[in-house]
Amino acid sequence: MLALAIPIAFALMSLALLLNLWRVVRGPDLPDRILALDTLYINSIALLVLFGIHLDTMIYFEVALLIAMMGFVGTVAVAKYLLRGDIIE
Amino acid sequence: MTLSLIIFLPLLGALLPPLFIRLGRTACAWSAALLAGTALAILLYHSPAVFAGETLVFTQPWLPALGLNFSLRLDGLGLLFALLILGIGLLIILYARYYLSEHDPMGRFYGMLLLFMAAMLGIVLSENLLLLLVFWELTSLSSFLLIGYWKHRSDARQGARMALAITGGGGLAMLAGILLLGHITGSYELSVVLASAELIQAHALYPVTLALILLGAFTKSAQFPFHFWLPHAMAAPTPVSAYLHSATMVKAGVFLLARLFPALSGTELWFFLVAGTGTATLLLGAYHALFKHDLKGLLAYSTVSHLGLITLLFGIGTPLAAVAGVFHIINHATFKASLFMAAGIIDHETGTRDMRRLGGLWRFMPHTATLAMVAAASMAGVPLFNGFLSKEMFFAETLHAGWMGEWSWLLPLLATLAALFSVAYSVRFIHDVFFGTGPRDITRKPHEPPRYMKVPVEVLVALCLLVGILPAWTVAPLLAAAAASTVGAELPYYSLAIWHGFNLPLLMSLIALAGGVILYLLRFRLFALHDRIFPLCDAKAWFECGLARTIAVSHQLTAWLENGSLQRYAMLLVASVLIVIGTSLWGTTLTGPVAMGTVDGVTLTGALVLGVSALATVIWHRRRLAALVLLSVVGLVVSVAFVRFSAPDLALTQLSVEMVTILLLMLALYFLPQHSPAESSTARRWRDGLLAAGAGLSVAALAWGVLTRPLETISGYFLEQSKPGGGGSNVVNVILVDFRGFDTLGEITVLAIAAFGIYALLQGLRLPSPTTDGEGRPWAEDRHPLILSAVSRPLLPLALMVSLYILLRGHNLPGGGFIAGLVTAVALILQYVASGVVWTRERLPFDYIKLTASGVLVATLTGVASWWFAHPFLTSTFEYVQLPLLGKFELASAMVFDVGVYLTVVGSTLLILANLGKLTLVSQPHEETK
Amino acid sequence: MTHTIILPVLLPLLTALVLLFGSRRSLAWKRGVSLAATAALLPLGLLLLQQTYSGAYGVYALGNWVAPFGIVLVLDRLAALMLLLTALLSLPALLYASHGDDHTGPNFHALFQFQLMGLNGAFLTGDLFNLFVFFEVLLIASYALLLHGAGPARSRAGLHYVILNLVGSGLFLLAVGTLYGITGTLNMADLAVRVAAAGPADAPLLRAAGLLLLVVFALKAALLPLYFWLPRAYSAASAPVAALFAIMTKVGVYSIVRVYSLIFGAQAGLLADTALAWLWPLALATLVLGALGALAARELRTLIAYLVVVSVGTLLAGFALNNNAALAASLYYLLHSTLVAGGLFLLAGLIRTQRGAEGDQLHPAAPVSQPALLGSLFFIAAVAVVGMPPLSGFIGKLLLLSSVPPGMQLIWLWAIVLGSGLLALITLSRAGSQLFWNTLEITPVAPRADRLRLAAVVLLLASAPLLSLFAEPVHRYTQATAAQLYAPAGYIHAVLGARDIPRLTIGPEERP
Repeated sequence: MLALAIPIAFALMSLALLLNLWRVVRGPDLPDRILALDTLYINSIALLVLFGIHLDTMIYFEVALLIAMMGFVGTVAVAKYLLRGDIIE
Repeated sequence: MTLSLIIFLPLLGALLPPLFIRLGRTACAWSAALLAGTALAILLYHSPAVFAGETLVFTQPWLPALGLNFSLRLDGLGLLFALLILGIGLLIILYARYYLSEHDPMGRFYGMLLLFMAAMLGIVLSENLLLLLVFWELTSLSSFLLIGYWKHRSDARQGARMALAITGGGGLAMLAGILLLGHITGSYELSVVLASAELIQAHALYPVTLALILLGAFTKSAQFPFHFWLPHAMAAPTPVSAYLHSATMVKAGVFLLARLFPALSGTELWFFLVAGTGTATLLLGAYHALFKHDLKGLLAYSTVSHLGLITLLFGIGTPLAAVAGVFHIINHATFKASLFMAAGIIDHETGTRDMRRLGGLWRFMPHTATLAMVAAASMAGVPLFNGFLSKEMFFAETLHAGWMGEWSWLLPLLATLAALFSVAYSVRFIHDVFFGTGPRDITRKPHEPPRYMKVPVEVLVALCLLVGILPAWTVAPLLAAAAASTVGAELPYYSLAIWHGFNLPLLMSLIALAGGVILYLLRFRLFALHDRIFPLCDAKAWFECGLARTIAVSHQLTAWLENGSLQRYAMLLVASVLIVIGTSLWGTTLTGPVAMGTVDGVTLTGALVLGVSALATVIWHRRRLAALVLLSVVGLVVSVAFVRFSAPDLALTQLSVEMVTILLLMLALYFLPQHSPAESSTARRWRDGLLAAGAGLSVAALAWGVLTRPLETISGYFLEQSKPGGGGSNVVNVILVDFRGFDTLGEITVLAIAAFGIYALLQGLRLPSPTTDGEGRPWAEDRHPLILSAVSRPLLPLALMVSLYILLRGHNLPGGGFIAGLVTAVALILQYVASGVVWTRERLPFDYIKLTASGVLVATLTGVASWWFAHPFLTSTFEYVQLPLLGKFELASAMVFDVGVYLTVVGSTLLILANLGKLTLVSQPHEETK
Repeated sequence: MTHTIILPVLLPLLTALVLLFGSRRSLAWKRGVSLAATAALLPLGLLLLQQTYSGAYGVYALGNWVAPFGIVLVLDRLAALMLLLTALLSLPALLYASHGDDHTGPNFHALFQFQLMGLNGAFLTGDLFNLFVFFEVLLIASYALLLHGAGPARSRAGLHYVILNLVGSGLFLLAVGTLYGITGTLNMADLAVRVAAAGPADAPLLRAAGLLLLVVFALKAALLPLYFWLPRAYSAASAPVAALFAIMTKVGVYSIVRVYSLIFGAQAGLLADTALAWLWPLALATLVLGALGALAARELRTLIAYLVVVSVGTLLAGFALNNNAALAASLYYLLHSTLVAGGLFLLAGLIRTQRGAEGDQLHPAAPVSQPALLGSLFFIAAVAVVGMPPLSGFIGKLLLLSSVPPGMQLIWLWAIVLGSGLLALITLSRAGSQLFWNTLEITPVAPRADRLRLAAVVLLLASAPLLSLFAEPVHRYTQATAAQLYAPAGYIHAVLGARDIPRLTIGPEERP
């Protein structure tokens, strides 16, 4: 079951990556791009977790956790930048 | 030993006058004379030995590996010159005491004069040719200072620079020549070189060597075509002209001809180069001297001419010609120095040196006039004066010059012609100054100079007469000694007598005397003719023009090369890379034996995303925020790629660094225009694109080459030793904190320095901040959205816990101080973002500078601690301990090191970001200008 | 186990940290600490020099890991010479800075110490990657020092310097990566063994990496076509920083000498003398363009900066000659040119402060307040830097000129070195007469120079007569250094010990 699910999941995640890339490149607005970037972070987390399941190891989960945190901080900062320009005031 | 004192006393003496000037001008002159006088006494003490035919040598090694020794030699030639230098030098010191005005800094003058004297003595007393060159260039340097003595006058400055450039440049050529000479003979010692004439003249390098050495001699002795610096050096005070430009420095060139006479002379090449140059200079100088209206100008060109005469004599190459040359050196020094001093007196008393304004001075200064007339008569070669004797010998030698074949009549003819001009300008010097009408437009009434100002002239003029009338009783022994050491062999018979009977030389003299007087009578017509023929013939102008051209070209070249464009410099750097990699790899087999692995779809997708976003970043680099978002994508994909290729540590680090960088960029972007203008032309972009593509391909080629080759590295050892030797199973971390902990120490230092550097840069910086965003919308009102603050705060303890965990387990599992530090830093920065600087600083009252420094300190001290156990810096140790609740736990010294890393990373990241963030607090809002 | 070898790195590092902990203390305290630590480097340098005098190597295995697995510091004659030179240069520079330039921004002294740490580490390390690390240390410290007390000119020149050097660091990594990928090692002695054993299949990649390193080092050393950043950066820096930077280019020169005598030297098999063919023409061209640049300079500091470029060209031309005598001459010249250039930069600082608003512009301005003193110092420095007798520059040039074997190289070197000497003579005589002779009729108002600043200038310029007077012992040492460099087997053996080294043509024989 897993042997079938994982390749399919990989394929779907790859597609998601490409679609996100499309949105990052196309925009049209900055918020669109930021949102796409945030989604890319989420996609990466999923990819890594998938990869961990695939290799049957927990090591990648921590990386995923960190990506989650960094993604959050990054998105917050860009959003703040859009709002106020100055992210630390 | 005492030989070296002859040089060192004046050198030492150069320091005294600037000190003694406080005691008054006379004391200053005495201090200068004292040491020069002592040196003269020492010289005289040694002179009996030299007259007895000995050559005194003193050697002190300096740089023996090179053949450079401080070795001195006193022989007849050296003695003669040293006597001239010291004797005339003392007279000049006396003369200058009265010549210099109250405003002239006398201490400086005497100091430089003695420096020059020491250098000149060095030239004539050197046994080592390299040492001779040392003193040679020293005379150029000190004469530069002396010519430029009246520094406020632009002609003095120009004359000084020109003299230095020509004589110094000639010295450089001579250096090459001497090195070649040393290469040929294997030594720079004169005793060896002078004994190797056959070896030198048979050597293939002889012509080059000769030409280079002659360049040095000719520039120094103002030989054609380098003669032009000498007349312009007349901007110097007259004592300097009398000393340097008649008696001593310009004689250095002919001294060198005499010194190397045994080694270099006697070939056809020598004859044509030296005699040819001498003849040209003789004629040119004599001709120009007649047309100079300036007294010193006349004397300068006359000096040029007489130096040409001496050069010609040495060029003829026979021993007798050399004797005549040495004799004329003595005679010229005496009469020319006295003439210069007389000119100086006239200038001093009338305020002008222009012969068109002078005249009739006999009435005012008969004494000076008499002295000048005697000296001028000697210059003209009138019988009973010393100039006549050597000129007779000169005429005789021109009649016997070899190598000329059918043209042998030419040399005597030219010699007579030059002598004719010489008589003419001598007559002019006397008649235009002391007789006839005038003086005109003189502001003061001329009178005789102070008593002691005339004494030096009197001494020299007396010598002219004594030598002229009683040569055998006066100059003969000195001449014999000097000539003997010049020729280096038995001297042939010669007689120093006034009367040799009616012969050809006497006839030539008579023709010259009569013709010269006639020429002088025709002078006004000649002046007009001269002005028509040579209106623009000024070598100095050519020199200055050539120099100006060179400077202009270097300006253009430098401005073109160093144009201040970073793009240009970066282009050159990348192009260099392309060239070196291209030439190394072109045409070689790049692919190694190892086959490439297969690629899966996900990786390919990742590569695609990476490529596209990287390209898009470049394309949109002018829309800064969009480019930043794309850059984040690049960073993210790279991190994921690290995970994909089994490097979780790297991935964690990369991710955190990525985030900090993006934050940094945003902080900086705030102060920058949102859109940057287009700066490159299309062609430029194509060029840059091609370069970038080339560089990318080059790096790809390197990577391809490396990846297709078997990887046998020292990492095998690391894997083996990690657990038993380093006490950790995470090899990456053990490498970082143990195997290559020194690198890590260096890198955290780099991080810390960067933080301190940025901190230092930001101090006191006030930047205008924009009031609207890129599209002109005003900023939102809410500084710290409540939801954001509320969400961020709980994240902090969570993140701190995670980072502590990552830090502690780093030795065995992915993690470590670097990652942990970044995670902590990012979590703290989030608080800054969410709640502001003031709020966060209140709750985080750390001094980030000290935090950072303590991190580096902890890491360093961990390393130093191993000294305690007699191990090298950074030797690690580890122990397993049983802890209650936690179970078996490893304690490694490397973990302390890692804590140092952690602290440094946290401290420096916060120091940078918080200080950048603080910038806005002190900055003024402004409207963004497009 | 003697730890003296690592002290030149640790002492400045710990001093810097102490200074940072006391960053709120008085400037006098910071000056005292910084000066004391820098002064301590002098006896340390002498001690280390004395240790290498017999030709012995000092090897310090960090973390007690045996080479090539761990990092080693290697003390040989060249390293000791460079350490001493750094100490000799930095003390007067710091002395000068301690009287005015160190209060224009925070933490000057700490940054200065970090810079020293980077320099000393770069000279000591026997590991290529570690060399990269120390390059980073000294570069980042130099960025900070360069921008210290910033102004627009300084910022712009500093930015160019920073960006180009960052690109250079990237290239360094690429080169190290490639070398590691092929040879599997980072230790320089081990690299020497493996590069020498490389077969024809690997040689092109190694050559590419080796030449990439040359590009990196040439950028630091300021060799054509990569020196253009230097004149503005150096002339924009404050006087003591510029003086210290006189040794920054020499780090590049050092690295070139080290890497291309040890790893890619004559014994490197297929890769023997990789860089020489490139170095020779580039060094000579650098010499010529540097001399022309100096002639064109409109400010004294720019002029001195170009003289630094000239000295780099001279040094590398000497190295490219590839013989013992020429390398010995170059090393002598390196000592001379570094110290004299440092002294000149400091002197330019004094002149600038005394000439009022005109600064060091080479056109008529108010006279300096101490014309006799500063003029004499300038004269001495100029004589030394032009290479006129009797000072050190002359001895250096003489050694270099006489080290060339007859042939085309001789003609090129002599013509260019002597020709550029003439240009330099003209340049400096013009500059000197502009600064000290061609002055306006204004009474100078600037205060007299600070005594300690003067002392710093005198200390550095005193090297010119001293190096000349003691040319014999100094030259003997540089000769021994050159001999040691051209016999790298000793170095390799000292680092790798009796480890089984593949039979190579590494012999103790020295080159002519």
